[in-house]
Amino acid sequence: MEITIIRKQDDAIHFLLEGAHVGFANALRRTMLTRVPSMSIDEVLILENTSVMYDEILAHRLGLVPLVTKLDDYNLPEECDCEGKGCSLCQCTLTLEKEAGDQDMMVYSGDLSSQDPEVMPATEGIPLVKLAPHQTLILEAYARLGTGLENAKFQPVATVAYKNVPLVSVDKSKCNQCGDCVEVCPKNILVLEDDVLSTQNTLECSLCEACVRVCEPGAVTIDSKEDSFLFKVESTGALPPEEIVERAAEILKERIGEALDFANSL
Amino acid sequence: MIIPVRCFTCGKVVADKFEEFRREVRQGEDPAIVLDRLGLHRYCCRRMLLSHIDIIDSFMAFATSELVEET
Ligand code: SF4
Ligand code: SF4
Ligand SMILES: [Zn+2]
Ligand SMILES: [Zn+2]
Repeated sequence: MEITIIRKQDDAIHFLLEGAHVGFANALRRTMLTRVPSMSIDEVLILENTSVMYDEILAHRLGLVPLVTKLDDYNLPEECDCEGKGCSLCQCTLTLEKEAGDQDMMVYSGDLSSQDPEVMPATEGIPLVKLAPHQTLILEAYARLGTGLENAKFQPVATVAYKNVPLVSVDKSKCNQCGDCVEVCPKNILVLEDDVLSTQNTLECSLCEACVRVCEPGAVTIDSKEDSFLFKVESTGALPPEEIVERAAEILKERIGEALDFANSL
Repeated sequence: MIIPVRCFTCGKVVADKFEEFRREVRQGEDPAIVLDRLGLHRYCCRRMLLSHIDIIDSFMAFATSELVEET
């Protein structure tokens, strides 16, 4: 099995996984979605809310704000010594206090102040609620670690997707250079230059087969490599994308180990 | 009421991009170009901003700053 990083951005990573079974690729994808923990606000104590928004909606919006997570600093509540009651090792308190003056005021995720400077909203510009003049909002929010298995707000990823590596091939002896496939391809994979049809950026191909349908002599064939996968992991900002992949691999390995131990004990 | 924090379908955070989107579209920019630049490439996320109508301002016309006692 081999992994090649194709593109890395702050919030997303694209990599190529070669020599793996589709079952493994999907297990890795699902582990990233549901087993890698991240921090989220889970309980909100509303002390004062005179805004037009109901407390419940506000609490729900707070829960969806991704928080920067330091996985080594916090325990999952069910694994913590406090047995899930909530202590400083498994919980982080954030507070928000805002009062509008004579003008309307938008309250943003960046207005939350945290007890732990490391655990902050991943983006500061999320509008939470708008306050009319002289309305106040005072609340305390408790964030904890959790997994996507429990609630989607704990997922560290927005999307993880993979596709098989596309193979675009052109039979030059059949091609009559009509250019139909060049026009129809939404990803500009096929190019006609000096009466020769060639392919570029084939990894971008979406396997839509529009080119195959339009080609009368049947010169284009689209195939996919069964054992190679192009992954796209898009982080919510809770964890860096490469850490999500690493953690998911560790968790998957541990879980497979457990399954094997159990199978051997039978 | 107010822009949803995340995309209903894929879970990407979209709320932090709404104000910039609205500002630029009001200035006459093509929404498709603004969405591309904001990094919203999937149509699930694009419709979140495109189809949103902020009605919190209309609610605020009826706002009070008094705490309403629950009965
Ligand atoms: S399958 Fe679709 S994306 Fe791929 S080369 Fe053909 S037309 Fe382009
Ligand atoms: S549509 Fe077929 S025949 Fe026409 S240029 Fe493309 S591959 Fe060649
Ligand atoms: Zn604890
Ligand atoms: Zn989406």
